[in-house]
Amino acid sequence: MKEATSLLLLCARQELVLAVRSRWTQIFALVFAALALAVAGSGYILTGGHGVQDFGRTAASLVQLVLLLVPLTSLLMGALALTPDRGAAELLFSQPVARRTLLLGKLLGLFEALAAAQALGFGAAGVLIFQQAGSDGLGTFLLLGLGSLVLTAIFLGLAALLAAGSPARGRARVLALALVVWFVLVLVFDAVALGLASFLPSGAASRLLIVSVLLNPADAVRTGALLAAEGTTAFGAASLAFLRFTHGPVGAGLLLAVSLVVWMVVPPVLAVRRLGRSDV
Amino acid sequence: MSGSLWAALALVAVVGGDDAAPPAAGLEGRPSAGQVSPLQARIDAAPAGATLEIQPGTYEGDLFIDKPLHLVGRGRPVLVGSGEGSVVRIRAAGVTLEGFDVDGRGGGDLGRDTSGIHVAAPRAVLRDCRIVRSLFGVYLREADGSVVERCTIEGIRGKDPGEKGSGIHVWNTQGFRLLGNQVTDARDGFYIQSSAHGVVRGNAARDLRYGLHYMFADDNLFEDNVFENGAAGAALMYSKRIVFRRNRFLHNRGFASVGLLLKACDRVTAENNLIADNARGIFLEGSYDNVFRDNVIAGSDTAVILYDSCARNRFHGNSFLANLSPLLLVGRRTDTDFAGNYWSGNPEPDLDGDGRTDRPYRLVSVFDHFRGNLTAADLMTQGTAALALAAAEESFPVLRPIPVEDPAPLAAPQAVVPSATEIRAVRSLPGVLVSVTLVALALTVLARGRRKA
Repeated sequence: MKEATSLLLLCARQELVLAVRSRWTQIFALVFAALALAVAGSGYILTGGHGVQDFGRTAASLVQLVLLLVPLTSLLMGALALTPDRGAAELLFSQPVARRTLLLGKLLGLFEALAAAQALGFGAAGVLIFQQAGSDGLGTFLLLGLGSLVLTAIFLGLAALLAAGSPARGRARVLALALVVWFVLVLVFDAVALGLASFLPSGAASRLLIVSVLLNPADAVRTGALLAAEGTTAFGAASLAFLRFTHGPVGAGLLLAVSLVVWMVVPPVLAVRRLGRSDV
Repeated sequence: MSGSLWAALALVAVVGGDDAAPPAAGLEGRPSAGQVSPLQARIDAAPAGATLEIQPGTYEGDLFIDKPLHLVGRGRPVLVGSGEGSVVRIRAAGVTLEGFDVDGRGGGDLGRDTSGIHVAAPRAVLRDCRIVRSLFGVYLREADGSVVERCTIEGIRGKDPGEKGSGIHVWNTQGFRLLGNQVTDARDGFYIQSSAHGVVRGNAARDLRYGLHYMFADDNLFEDNVFENGAAGAALMYSKRIVFRRNRFLHNRGFASVGLLLKACDRVTAENNLIADNARGIFLEGSYDNVFRDNVIAGSDTAVILYDSCARNRFHGNSFLANLSPLLLVGRRTDTDFAGNYWSGNPEPDLDGDGRTDRPYRLVSVFDHFRGNLTAADLMTQGTAALALAAAEESFPVLRPIPVEDPAPLAAPQAVVPSATEIRAVRSLPGVLVSVTLVALALTVLARGRRKA
């Protein structure tokens, strides 16, 4: 058991080094930090230094940034790293290490690298925000960081699932699939839900939208973060409808947490099973 | 003295007392013998125009004042009502009452306007009084030129709004002045009807239904008042030429609550008001020629609700900050002039530096039709998908909604808003420390790639 753990950590460290050396990680870290700084700074700079850009609204903009960039980057980095080069899979899997350990180790390493890249952005933005607006929003800020990590884990897991399904058929296909997954979960899902809702009577439409928000990981993180940051002003009357559906804030937190944990656990487990069964 | 004699005296007073105007039907007269205050005898004995000093103590029973007197409470005497009718009934012009605590004991009858202090004569002055547990706090009925100043009114907590009256109720009273009063737990803070040329300044109404409820009353001035935590900050109907300056309409946060509601009101001017954290900021229906200038409308679900039954309204120099949606237009068209306001949701830059952003700001979005009939839609209308759809629609308008826009939006808020330095909290350190730690951690991890594995 102990040996398996140390093997896992070894794989993780190996992957972390690879990921950190990758141009993609470096570019992501820089872009994310630059955009986060822009979001944090814009509230003051664009309004000539006297805007009421309170922490809640800055957090709301940061949420948008996280929702757009983090799933995409996690999927692409995961797809790139987890579909091995031709021949590498045979070499790797012939080692006396369980495939499960290899995969989970790689995931862990990737997660560390991406988490570090995001921490850089959050930290840089945080210095600006807190220095300007005081530390009142620190809890929300950290919660937002946590949401970002959760999204990273979920979408890395999805990338693993995609890559595990088709180790032999090459990287391009996995990358394309990853893009489709991102497109569906982050962009199409909401649009479809809104479209369907417009055909339903208002009670059913409300329930559909609320359930959609709970089911989709990107929506779940966004809703949870904004509700935590701004309270019921985040979505106006819709917040109240949501909280009534979940029987209060505790129920809302629980349901969101359950949804996110399922998304974090299920894809990697499926990926491990598929990888175990696949013929390299 | 027998009860029947008191009743006869009361009848005389009612029939022949006031030569200005016969008291209207339903007006509470002299309290009956069992309900009268021990102070009544002193009032009846005093000559008109006298000043009576009332010593500290508790005086149980109702008081009837039918001649001009100046009553001064020393050491805050407490007037505890009978619980059957108004505690103090002012029926003669020129009565002044100051420094009393009035307790209505939660009793009386809404239909008879039972109040802490009920005034049905001109030129009353009520000053530094505290009125608790009354259906109405102060009732000015045909009381031209009356003044209510620095009074505190605490209504009946826990009683349903429909079962109690207003904090200060003004009916058919010209030239009234309400200055520096505080009202809580009433039905409406201030109810003003059919009363003109009044001044309402420096008052606060909190934790009630409407802060200000207002009908058929023209030419009144509201300055420096606070209306907060109600179903509506101010609801005005069927009135003209009202001026609002530097008032604050805050935290009216119910399901359909409004900061400032105008229905069939014309030529209202609202300047430098702060309308913040309301479910809906400003609500306009059937109203014409109103001007909103240099106000701050912030933190609303919808900043302005505008019916197409309105016309010729103008919004200039206002700052619309952090509202979920700037405008909900009910109907097909509007001629409202929105030129020259600041909109915090406006992403356009001001490249030529003329203080205006370079393109008009559109006040309606693709999702507005959802908001009207489906509240849960707001859960998604700010999501990434919705932003993408909105951006696409902006670039390639296929829907072409009703064009409402600010043709020359301000690049920076013009009105006085709290500056970053004012709202800056002192405790920057913890947040900055955490952030720096995050950066350091990140750099440590990222630096690993440089070393040999």
